[in-house]
Amino acid sequence: MMDMFRRAAADFVRHRFLHGTCFLTVSLAVFIVSAFGLFLVNAGALMDAWQQGVRITAYLKSDISGQQALALADELEQKPEVASVSHVSGEEGLQWLKEQIGGQTDLLADLSENPLPDALEIRPEQGLSGADAFDALAKAVAARAEVADVEYGRNWLHRFYGVYNLFRMTAAVMAALVIVAIMFIGANTFRLILYSRQEEIEITRIIGADEEFVKYPLYLESMLLGFCGAVAGLALLYAAFLSVMPQVSPGGLLPVFQIRFLSLGWIFMILMASMFVGWVGCWFTVRRFLRI
Amino acid sequence: MTQTDPLDNRIIRFYQVSKHFGDSWALHDLSFDVETNEFLFITGPSGAGKSTLIKLLYMGERMSSGYAIVDGMNLTRMHRRQIPVLRRKIGVIFQDFKLIAHLNVFRNVALVMEAAGFKSRTEIRRRVEDLLELVGLADQAKAYPPTLSGGEKQRAAVARAMVGKPRIILADEPTASLDPDAAERVLRLLCAAHARGATVLITTHDRELISRFDTRVIRLQGGRQVADAAGNAGGECP
Repeated sequence: MMDMFRRAAADFVRHRFLHGTCFLTVSLAVFIVSAFGLFLVNAGALMDAWQQGVRITAYLKSDISGQQALALADELEQKPEVASVSHVSGEEGLQWLKEQIGGQTDLLADLSENPLPDALEIRPEQGLSGADAFDALAKAVAARAEVADVEYGRNWLHRFYGVYNLFRMTAAVMAALVIVAIMFIGANTFRLILYSRQEEIEITRIIGADEEFVKYPLYLESMLLGFCGAVAGLALLYAAFLSVMPQVSPGGLLPVFQIRFLSLGWIFMILMASMFVGWVGCWFTVRRFLRI
Repeated sequence: MTQTDPLDNRIIRFYQVSKHFGDSWALHDLSFDVETNEFLFITGPSGAGKSTLIKLLYMGERMSSGYAIVDGMNLTRMHRRQIPVLRRKIGVIFQDFKLIAHLNVFRNVALVMEAAGFKSRTEIRRRVEDLLELVGLADQAKAYPPTLSGGEKQRAAVARAMVGKPRIILADEPTASLDPDAAERVLRLLCAAHARGATVLITTHDRELISRFDTRVIRLQGGRQVADAAGNAGGECP
């Protein structure tokens, strides 16, 4: 094993120009894919943040007492899809309306009595996702005898999810295309390295080396290249992230949302994927060389 | 894999072996046997099929038809995983040396033992140094092939072919690109390998060289075997 590492390291130094070229290619490829991943992760988080603002308002019938309203709120809060329920009385609702319309309170001056019914403001669980899930919860609430009407911005929500799903699908297709393109570039760069060493591999085989003796150091080298290239690509992305973040973080383009770098899970996945691409490129080429 | 009959002294057996590349026949119906520790020449003009024959022997190419056994191993149906086992029994020397340019002479020779799975550095060092001493390259152990003369390169190649103590040495035009003195030295080394028990098979188109050895000569022409003449010296080096 140590001998294999030693030979792989020696080859790294010996073929430094080709390895350098391959390293740069992998770094750039990883930089592009990771930048895409960074965008996706943050766009997804931004969507989730918007989604958390969705509330379902259940307007209660006029003959429902405050006691009954609180009992219903407690009951609804037991549902797994519901995070919390708050009771808003008609008076509180009117007060809130006055605050919202600001200087135009004259519009409400002629009201002889408060027309607003008591309501329950339902905050769905964070895990609840998709317009259908919101529809189902709203339908269940509306089915209650105490509830006169339910409002949750159904049309807006459906449009929002339509755009969100389209975005996600487009992003997934684009990411897949970019990854495939990069796999080809990476694999072909590794092929170049091996082609330049075709004679050496041939000689090693003629003198009696078995396939493992030839293959394993090459696999190791290609995976090392994939790993080092990925580390450099991610480091480059992090540097870019640090320089761009002040412009888009709170106080910048996005006042509330905090832009984040890729999680450790993502970084690990990218490192593994890069090593895998290196190995695949090497495997295909070595397989061709070892045929007789 | 076929085991050699202990009473059968034939280390190479070729029976109606042919090789074609597309429509072109490189070798046609070749049949001959080689005894253990024999020293023989394969001769013929360029394009006669000498190098193809060498390639078939170390499984650099697969034969198209026929039957061949080399040191007890059946080449006809050999699995590719068996090929390294065969090659460790054979030392091959090429006209163009085929040394790895970025490894020094010591490492080029030692690579054979590393590839064969030798782990002991001491053992590798001892054997390689012995061989380099024998071929007169002890002081060039750290030199890289591009800095060596043709003769030195070929002597390094001979050391590489001998270091694994192979049962067979195949030399494909080993002296073709060397001056007479260097060629003479390489031939003496091949004789030394023969004296140590190896079966030596040399391809050459150099009639003057063959005439100096009174040994067996197989002559090829157009891929066919046209003569197989035993020498008077019974396969001995001069």
